[in-house]
Formats: sequence, structure tokens, C-alpha cells
Amino acid sequence: MTLWRLPLLIAGLLIAAPACAAGAEPAARAALVEKLCGNAGQMGEAAAALSTLAASGTPEEIGWAAPLARAALDKTLACDDTGAVLAATGTDAVTRAPRAPAPDARTPVLSLKNRAVFEQADAALALRSAADPATRTAALATLERRPAALPEGLLEAAAQGETDPGLRTRIETLAQTAALNAADPAARIRAIGRIAEHPSRRALTQVEALAKDPAYAADPAFRQAVDAGLATIRRGIALGDALATLYNGLSFASILFMAAIGLAIIFGLMGVINLAQGELIMIGAYVTWLVQQGLRQAAPALLDWYLVLAIPVAFLVTAGIGIALEALLLRHLYRRPLMSLLATWAVSLFLVNTVRVVFGTQNLQFETPFYVSGGVPVIGDFIFTWNRMFAILFAAVTLLVTWATVRKTPLGLNIRAVTQNRDMAACIGIPTRRVDMMAFGLGSGLAGLAGLALSPIYSVNPQMGQNFIIDSFMVVVLGGVGTIAGTVVAALGIGQINVLIEPLWGAVAAKVIVLLMIIAFLQWRPEGLFAVKGRRK
Amino acid sequence: MTRWTADRPFLAVLALLLATAAALPLLAGTPLEMSRYLANAIGQLAAFAVLALSLDLIWGYLGILSLGHGLFFALGGYVVAMYLLKHSFEVTGTVPDFLQFMGWKDFPFYWAGFGAFPYALAVAVVLTTLVAGLFGYVSFRSRVGGVYFAIITQALVYVAMLLMFRNDTGFGGNNGMTGFSVMFGWPMGTSGMITGLAVASLLVLALVLAGCRWLVGSRFGALMLATRDDETRLRTLGYETLRLKLAVWCLSALIAMVAGMLYVPQVGIINPRLLSPELSLEIAVWVAIGGRGHLVGAVVGALLVNAIKFWLSFAAPEVWPFILSGLIVLVVLVFPNGLIDLARLRLVRPMGPRRLAADVGEARP
Repeated sequence: MTLWRLPLLIAGLLIAAPACAAGAEPAARAALVEKLCGNAGQMGEAAAALSTLAASGTPEEIGWAAPLARAALDKTLACDDTGAVLAATGTDAVTRAPRAPAPDARTPVLSLKNRAVFEQADAALALRSAADPATRTAALATLERRPAALPEGLLEAAAQGETDPGLRTRIETLAQTAALNAADPAARIRAIGRIAEHPSRRALTQVEALAKDPAYAADPAFRQAVDAGLATIRRGIALGDALATLYNGLSFASILFMAAIGLAIIFGLMGVINLAQGELIMIGAYVTWLVQQGLRQAAPALLDWYLVLAIPVAFLVTAGIGIALEALLLRHLYRRPLMSLLATWAVSLFLVNTVRVVFGTQNLQFETPFYVSGGVPVIGDFIFTWNRMFAILFAAVTLLVTWATVRKTPLGLNIRAVTQNRDMAACIGIPTRRVDMMAFGLGSGLAGLAGLALSPIYSVNPQMGQNFIIDSFMVVVLGGVGTIAGTVVAALGIGQINVLIEPLWGAVAAKVIVLLMIIAFLQWRPEGLFAVKGRRK
Repeated sequence: MTRWTADRPFLAVLALLLATAAALPLLAGTPLEMSRYLANAIGQLAAFAVLALSLDLIWGYLGILSLGHGLFFALGGYVVAMYLLKHSFEVTGTVPDFLQFMGWKDFPFYWAGFGAFPYALAVAVVLTTLVAGLFGYVSFRSRVGGVYFAIITQALVYVAMLLMFRNDTGFGGNNGMTGFSVMFGWPMGTSGMITGLAVASLLVLALVLAGCRWLVGSRFGALMLATRDDETRLRTLGYETLRLKLAVWCLSALIAMVAGMLYVPQVGIINPRLLSPELSLEIAVWVAIGGRGHLVGAVVGALLVNAIKFWLSFAAPEVWPFILSGLIVLVVLVFPNGLIDLARLRLVRPMGPRRLAADVGEARP
């Protein structure tokens, strides 16, 4: 802000006194219009006054001033001896009563310097008064070009009156930038403090730019404020990143857990690793998609709830596939677990290619219901997203239900008995074959639920199972056979380590390190973390 | 085990391999000459058969299923590809594609010396022995076996694939390595070269088959079978099974490496897909279909399955996975000894040892 505008600003503020709000200030208005018709210097003063009005005027004044700036830019202002006429509407510039301009009326011409000032005044007025969000967005874009020259209070007032949330965020950002570049050092320091309250990468770039500002070298108070602000923001970002890593790791671990718990139960019971587990996850996701499509046809009102409604469907379909797989194939392979690996791989090959033929290879499109969309920004760039929270909560509920099934139901009792000693369990009358079948169904159903839980986060296509399967094998190897606690701890560990190492050395290194750690770990405890006590086989 | 002179299927297959190896160059120039495509296909099939033998040695005779044998296959393949590229560069001065792609001026330092085949071979042998030895030692020492071992080897090959997919490792990244133009000073892609490689593959296959036959027929082979059938008892009797398993495991890895070295010059490209867990699983399928625990079975299985695959990849590529999965289920449920069970149905004359791998079951993990 240049010095010559200061007295004018004070004058403007005086004009904007309550008396003006009543609309009874024709003299001031006439003076403004007269300046608009004056020489280049007077026109500049008029533009500044219009800008000030945009910042601090009442809605009525802004409505009065808006056509003036527009008319000056469009060259539709006709100046004559008695004032000026807005040619676009054929009304007097001051009173807005209809009148025709005098025959000798002339149109004031904007100098190059004044054009910029008028454009800014026009945009400022439009931002406050335009009804159409598109016009306001365009006005904001104009204002963003020269944030330093904006009248104080304009953006704050505009942000308060703004109804569009996206636009409001943009206005607030611009307000911060404007305040950071303000002439008043105290205002700048205050602005730094305000920005540092909400640390983010963007805030960091904004404040870092100030270190190159001349004031940084000249003004110790300013330098102190910048340094303190930077420190706060960096701390916030580091904290946010750490939290985001933990959160992502937790959600990855949730998916891993759901994929692995079924594997672990089956492996503990029958010594069989189901290589088709990844494909059961994929089928779970596809069933979820089918439920969504079905709801779209049958009951569009319930479409948002497809994730919940798909839970029983996904479980039952994948459990059915699992039971069929057990009854038709694996039942005959109990003494040959290595052959069962090949057999389940054949099933996985079959399922992937069937889905590929039926649905194609492209990613499926999922609706995003309101309960898994968006998130709460916490600190730094960490956003507590609801889709990941959904997976975590889902896994927690699954854990609880699985635990209750294994610990509290007759089926669970049988599963544990057969896991511990198959022959003895058969001797006391437990139908081991039926227990196997039910357990296989349970494990497969859990894989289907994993597919449901990851459908809002990961892309769903026929190949998706392979992304999780090897990690979930590692969870089973690490966690030990047939213990829920082992699976939980191993899933958390592998999920977190993967996500922790990824930003440092990349996803591949994370996988390499996890595998090496597991191999090393097996030297120490070959039976996994939570091995069932017993004779080593 | 029958003496090798009385092992008719073995002798028949050996004779067939040697006859084909002789026929390939002898028929050249006559009206019966095989097309270049056919000769190349025979060479590739022979390389796959060597790979199947390597897996059969540890799975069929030692009861250890590796779902990561593609690792050693690819190791041999990568080393020979490095030799071919460096050698081609030294002869013709063509800069390999992947160097240009990465914008590198020169080969990375670890490519030094790869222009000489003996050095490349030595590197491949040392690396394979080192990787297999280290991994085998830590696994067998902690008595990781059965399904555990299978899925850890699968993870191993998967991780290796991810590693090789990176472009900055200096091994061609996801595009792999191709554009081999010279081998041992001779241009590649000529009829003579193709026939020569095919004959070499067949001879190596015959040699490996005979070597494995000798090994499993020896006292050492008897120990291998004993380890497979009851390791605990063998340990109780005072045998150190760790060293035995480790030795066979390393030998098997080396054979797989040789298969890779034969395979890559014939297809003319190597990329990380050679390391995909699917390929490693497929090796086990060839062996299972041919007859696990039977060397001739592994060779026949690999030749048969891959011949069908070659043919179908022209005729109807999309039905191949369905046929493969159907074959696996059939073998697993109906013919647990693969083609040998067919032989038992008197479709073919009975062959091989009386005690078959599938009859004894597997040790529970």
C-alpha cells in the first residue's frame, strides 16, 4: 500500500460510518463519481475508494459501487457536467434515477496503471456481491494475482459471507498469503502465528518463502516469528506424517489380518495353505460390487448402504466356495499337503480367469457412501480418512466375532480340539470331517469379508488377490499356527513394518526386509510367535 | 532301485533325446529339415525339462517342495543375458537398450568382466550356490519344511521379482534385457545358431538326466529317499540330514540355473516375469503331471505340458489357464503319480520303481 492512499483510507473509513449505512450520503457518493470522471490521479483515488468500500462497506453500498467499477472498465460511463450516467442501465451514477446523459458526455479512459487498480476493485466488489459462484471464483482468481495490494479486511469479510466451502477455503488461503505480505510488520507476524496453528506442507512453503523476504534479514522480530513459525509447522508435519504412517499401517494390517486369520485357522486345522485365499478376497470384493449394482437396480434409496448389506452376502458366497472347495478337492488331499498347494493354486487360476472372462480386467467402479468418504484433518498432512477407519473397525469387529466363534461356540471348541489332536478328537466322537468343512467355510468367508473391507480403499480387479496373498502367508508363518493372537500381532507387525520402511527405501525394500526378518525370526522360533505348546514335529 | 541298464523308460528317453540331438544337425539341408521355429521350440522345451528335473530331484526324492525355483532359473538367465549383452557390445559396439533408457553412459561397475563367458559362468555358479546354500542352511537348520518351506520360497521369488522390476538396479528393470546379437563370436538368430543351441540343450538335458539317474541310483540316492520317507528315523540312526538336504538343494539350484542359461539365449529376452510365483508353481505342476519322484516322469511332464502350452498359445491363449487348472485337479485327484498312474492302467508298459512318491504320503508339517 502506497503512502498517498493512507489519508484516503481514513477518509473512506470515516465515510463508512453508520450514517452512511442509512444511504444518506449523496455528497460523498457524488464526490466519488466526480473523481471517476476526473484525471488519472483522481481516478486512481476513486478506484482505491471502491476497493475500500468492497472491504468495509455495507451490502447496500457494495451493491451501489459494483456497477461503477464495471462501467469504468467497460467504458460505459458517460460523464457530463451534472455527474455521470451508467450507459448500460441508463441511470444516474449517484442516485440511480433514470436519466439520459448530456449530448457532450465523454467516457473516461483508463491508464494502464489505473486499469489494474480498477480490475482489482471490480473483482473485490464482485467477490462480495455476485450471486453466481462462478463469477465469484473468477473474481477471486483476479484477486489472487496481486495479494499484497488488497485492502485489509476484504478477504476476511468475503470468507465470512461465502457459502461455497471450496471457495471459502481458497479465500482463506489467499487471506493468509495477503496477510503474510502485508505492509504492517505486526500484521505479518500475526499472520505467521495464525498459519503455524494449522501446519501443513502448503503452510511450510508459504512461510519458507518469507525467509527470502528482505524483512527477514532486517527485522529481528520478524525473523524470530518466521523461525518459530517454521519450527512449529515442521514439528506439526513430522507428527502428522508419523500419525499418517501409523494409521496407514493399521489399515493395511487390518486387511492383512482378515486375509490371514482364515488361512491361519485352516492351516492349524488341516496343515493346508490355501493358495486361493487371495482369489476369495477378490470374489468378496466382486460380490460387494454386485450387491451395489443390484441395489442400484432394485432399491436406489439403499444404495449408500451397500457396504453393510453386502456383509452377509460376501461372507456366504465365499464361505460356500470354500466349503465346495473342501468337499470336492481338499478332502482327498489330507495326507498330501504339498499336493493341496497345487490343487488350491489350480482353483485360484480358475477363479481369476473366470472372473476375467465374465467381468473383464478393468478396475471396478465403486460408489463412495457418505460414511466412508472424506475425513477429518488432524495435524500436518494427516487426514483421518473414514474409508481406512471403516477397514480398521471392520477388522476389529471381525476379530471379536472370530474370537467369540473359536472360544465360545461348540464349533470353535471342536475346531480347537481337532487342531490340537485330530485322532484323539475323532476318538471322542467329534465329526472331524465336518469340522474341517465348517472351518474351511469360516476361513473362506473371512477372506470374502476382507475383500469387502478393502473395496473402498484399493482398486478391485481380477489380479488384486495376488497383492495381499504373499503378505498374508508371511503373517501365518510369523504368527504361528492356529492362534488368533499370533495372527493379530504378526499382521500388525508386518503391516506396520511395511508402511514404516516404504517411505524410507520404497515398497520393494520393505518387502525384502520383511522377508529377511521373517527368515531370521524363524531361526529363533521356527513355529512362529505364538506356537501351540507340544512336541516338535 | 533297478539297475540303470534295466530301466527301460530311462533308456528310451535318453535314446530319444540323443537321437533328436543328432537328427537336428544331420537333417539340415535335407528335405526333412526342421523349421527354425520347431528347432527353437525343441531347444526351449529341453531347457524346461532340465528345470523340471531340478525340481523333481528335491521334491520327488527329498520331499521338499520349492515354489521358488524360478529364482535360480532366472539367476542363470540374467547372468547369461548379461554375458550376451556385454559380449555383443564388445563385438558390435551396440549399446544395450536399457542403458539408453536409463540415460546411463556406461555399464554399471558390477558388469565388469561379463564379456567373458567363463567369468559369467563362475559368477552364476558362485551366486547360485551362495543364495541356495544360505537360504537352505537357515531353513533346514531350523527344520522349516513342508508347506512352510514352500510358501517361504514363494515369497523369496516374489520379492526377487519386485526387486528386478525396479529400473535402477542395472539389470534392465521391467523391460528386461534383449537385443542379444552375438554369442561366442557368432551372430545369433541364424539357423546354425538356433540348431546349435537346441542341440546343446538336448545334450545338457541328456547329461543331467543321466547324472540324476546315477545319483538317485547310488547309496546317496537311497539316503535321499529315506530322508523323504522318514527323516526323524534317519536322524535317529545317526545320519546328518541337514548336510544331505543342503547338498541336494544346492545341486538342484545349480541345475535350475543351467536351465536358465540354456533358456534365455533361445527366447532372446529376459524380464522379471521369469521370477513370477506363477512360473515357479508351474514347474511343480509339470513335475506333478509327469510323475513326482520319477526322473523320466519330470522330463516327459515338462515336455508334454509345455508342448501343449506352445501349441495353445497360438490356437487359443485364453483357454490355457482353464486347461492347466483342469490338468492339475485331474492329476491331484485321479492320478497322484501323474502319467505313471496312466502307465499302471496298462495303457503303457509298467515302468520305474515299485515304490512311488505318492504311496508313502508326506510327512506332516
